[in-house]
Amino acid sequence: MSHCERFGITEEQLRALVAEGLSAGGDWCDLYFEDTSYHDLLLRDGVVGSGGYHVDFGCGVRVLKGEKTGYAYAESTDFASLRAAARAAGSIANAAIAAPLRGSPGLKTSDCVGPLPLPSAAGPSLLRSRGRLRFSDPTAASTPHAMASFYSELTPWEDAEVAGFVPFLQRIEGGIRARDSRVLKVVAVLSYSVSDILMYNSLGELTADHRPLGSLSVQVIFRQGNRTENNTVSRSLRMGAEMISDAVLEDLVSRAVAGMDARFEARRPKGGQMSVVMGAGASGILLHEAMGHAFEADFNRKGQSIFSDKMGKQICRPGINILDDGTLPASRGALNVDDEGVPGQKTYMVTDGRLTSYLHDRISAAWYGVAPTGNGRRESFRYNPIPRMRATYMESGPDGTREDLIASVRKGIYVDQFANGQVKIGEGDFTFFVKSGFLIEKGRLTMPIKDINIIGNGPQALADIQGVAGDLKIDEGTWTCGKEQSAAVSCGIPSVLIGRLTVGGE
Amino acid sequence: MITDKELDFVREALEMARRFGAQKARATLSKSEEDLVATLDGEVDRVTHCADRSLNLALFVDGRFGTYSTNKLDAVSLEGFIERAVATTRMVSEDVFRDLPDPARCCRDALTGDELGLVDAVRERRSPADRQQIALDASVLFSSRSGQLPPGTSFGPHRFAVPPLTMPRVARFPEAVPAAEKTDNSGPGLPWSNHYEDEGKDFQIVSEEGEYSDSIYETVVMDTNGVCCRHRETSFDYGVEITVESGGDKYSGYWWDACSHAAGLDAPACGRRALERAVAQIGSAPAPSGRYTAVIDAEMAAKLVSPLLRALSAYSIQQNNSFLMDSLGQQVFPEGLTILDLPRIPGQTCSKYFDSEGVTTVEAPIIERGVVKEYFVNTYMANKMQIAPTIEDATRPKVLPWPEAGLDRAAILQRCGSGILVTDFNGGNSNPVTGDFSYGIEGFLFEEGRIVRPVSGMLMTGNLLGLWSRLLAAGDDARPCQTKLIPTLAFAEVDFSG
Repeated sequence: MSHCERFGITEEQLRALVAEGLSAGGDWCDLYFEDTSYHDLLLRDGVVGSGGYHVDFGCGVRVLKGEKTGYAYAESTDFASLRAAARAAGSIANAAIAAPLRGSPGLKTSDCVGPLPLPSAAGPSLLRSRGRLRFSDPTAASTPHAMASFYSELTPWEDAEVAGFVPFLQRIEGGIRARDSRVLKVVAVLSYSVSDILMYNSLGELTADHRPLGSLSVQVIFRQGNRTENNTVSRSLRMGAEMISDAVLEDLVSRAVAGMDARFEARRPKGGQMSVVMGAGASGILLHEAMGHAFEADFNRKGQSIFSDKMGKQICRPGINILDDGTLPASRGALNVDDEGVPGQKTYMVTDGRLTSYLHDRISAAWYGVAPTGNGRRESFRYNPIPRMRATYMESGPDGTREDLIASVRKGIYVDQFANGQVKIGEGDFTFFVKSGFLIEKGRLTMPIKDINIIGNGPQALADIQGVAGDLKIDEGTWTCGKEQSAAVSCGIPSVLIGRLTVGGE
Repeated sequence: MITDKELDFVREALEMARRFGAQKARATLSKSEEDLVATLDGEVDRVTHCADRSLNLALFVDGRFGTYSTNKLDAVSLEGFIERAVATTRMVSEDVFRDLPDPARCCRDALTGDELGLVDAVRERRSPADRQQIALDASVLFSSRSGQLPPGTSFGPHRFAVPPLTMPRVARFPEAVPAAEKTDNSGPGLPWSNHYEDEGKDFQIVSEEGEYSDSIYETVVMDTNGVCCRHRETSFDYGVEITVESGGDKYSGYWWDACSHAAGLDAPACGRRALERAVAQIGSAPAPSGRYTAVIDAEMAAKLVSPLLRALSAYSIQQNNSFLMDSLGQQVFPEGLTILDLPRIPGQTCSKYFDSEGVTTVEAPIIERGVVKEYFVNTYMANKMQIAPTIEDATRPKVLPWPEAGLDRAAILQRCGSGILVTDFNGGNSNPVTGDFSYGIEGFLFEEGRIVRPVSGMLMTGNLLGLWSRLLAAGDDARPCQTKLIPTLAFAEVDFSG
């Protein structure tokens, strides 16, 4: 089935809808068709006693007038419903104060026949890859699945039998109970979704993507004497049902029971400002909260971000590179194309310690006069795209190993497991919640710690990075970013030493 | 909104589920419409029209259970969807505890969905132009430019942090200057005057993002036992975030309001309040680490109540994932804490006659004088735990005033003397098993009941049971627009790190 057939739409109708959207004077119109099925299966008390699936189908229509947005959607793709949505979205042309506030070049289509310029790093050749199709290309309609893909899908989820996943979840519980007699309860959840996306815009670009996403999460309750503790682990990958493997099972089981002796001994540290060594992997939450959001171009375009006047400036020590990457194979944050049809790519935000790029959607890219970076993302067809992160990480550094960093700290903490984080964009104040770690005393890990929040300021924390080890690790947990809309993301980092952060405590 | 034809469609879905082999089923049809106008810096920035509908099915097939939803609601798609759903349900393991609720427990008085009086017909008459005007009128910058600021308008939060309109120094929005200069800032006496008033902080507004929306939501729950209940509610909402810059630093303030009736929404007040909150933080810095009396503003206090309610869920209790295990009937909290669930008050936002199973809601104590009175137990958990079912969650919990009625934030600050007033949380979490928490905060240091200076970059850390055992006061100032009616709270001896 072609993508157009899936949505019951013809090329002629796509053009007509765009024309309808622009009829009131809009500058740009794009259509986003989505057919998503989401499945879940839950094990609790040894029984895989609940399952289900959920279908979400529809099309969003966006019309831009300068940077102003009109948005509407239909949950049916019959032409009349879509035309009504296009008309509603197009009303922004009447609503908007036409003159752009700050002389933006705007997104123009009526007198523009070519695509917007792409970043030099990506190169124009990407125009014809990864699902980007043009009607003018006679081979286009037959090639959507031949595109280069950052997702692995050897066994499509649609072809897999739900019944086959039941014993897998039971094996997870069995494996966990076999390794730790303190296990009281296990809850394991398998969820997977498959989204078929078709995008068309007023440049005449037709783009398609097929996005699998599988996730496993396990929560374990432990009892030791009269004390109870919990641990949660997860794994999420953009791949097909081949994700259900012994390797993934072993990874989840081993991590679910790891570190529980320390967890039962853990205490709250004395609070205050101290050095923090952040372990490789999940500590990438630091980059997501402390820097990544502040680098999203909408916050900067609106003057809200603490980094809005720092482009091109040195914001951390030379040698540090921080990037947002949609091209990591099978990563939860991978994107063949973003939700505006811009090819997936790797974007260096900080290069050799200098701020070199924000994360752009088409609106902000046009405003800044640069190419979009493939960060225009949306939760579903119900939402207009905005700049969002994908997989955000820091490249490995020259400062030895994790142990070297720990050895350099006289008094501080080491942290490696996290629950959630948050940031105040204007102030730059970020926090993240630490599930487990250790005190560092005279260069050695000593008392286990847990359940503390850490707070810092983005620019200060960047400037305070005193050491970067050579052990970059991308975390594959079920990270979900909640900026206005939910988006699957990933993060990573090598072990880093930050000179001073404020640690919660008693 | 939900038509008779759609009601027939839901009945047909239940019948179809039976035909394909389900012994029991529940169907929930939800529809909503929303129109939204977002403004940026006093101009319309985004208009959105949303219309959603979704059919949710809970299927009970040969002792097995599954939940399904779709928004493809044509008859042909539905038949294939339900056939596949029944087949999928057969693939999971048997769970004998799954069942529909006893019909005797289910709601019988929500027949039209309008019984609570939560629908305002004004929404139907709102035009796109009306909505844009409301959004613009609510904007501080738009009002400033168009000379709509009434004489006497003051942007001072407590009339201490904002000097007479420093907005004229806004470089980015010079058109705001003349209108702002015209305003008369002579106001009444300063309730919490302090040195900030004299310093006169300069600031400029760098961004104002507002969002007005009105919406209508309707849901109907039916099951194969004959249950049928409906709920309809309109909502008029406005939220705004203002970012100001002063001395090279940025500070943001957010405020919102919502009401099921248009007349209850005071959108213009939100912009003023957001600006007050942003400017009040100018010059904020951490206070020294230590143990302080903590006063939690009513806007944020639900953050300290929500973990208690989650811990009383039967799902948490049954999984040993609660710090309130074995607490039913026990004096776990101090006498000063009483939380009632008040789900059936007409005209009150978020009131509702039934839960997602169709079980009727009742007014009931959750915690009474510190004694836990209720776990939230749905049909499944009742069967599994062999206890009586209640309701699956609190609908509209309210913390009662203590030790006396009528206290607001100012009165509580006076009563407490000195400490830290928390006006916003920045991240953090709590451990559901132990109740240990750690939250980022911002707010104000206060002494002798008066604000001394703004604080930020601090953390509040402790254990929820310990925190509540040191409850000093619960105010009488919960915001009616919130689902949880939690007033200003005060606690003794709370650890803050800065």
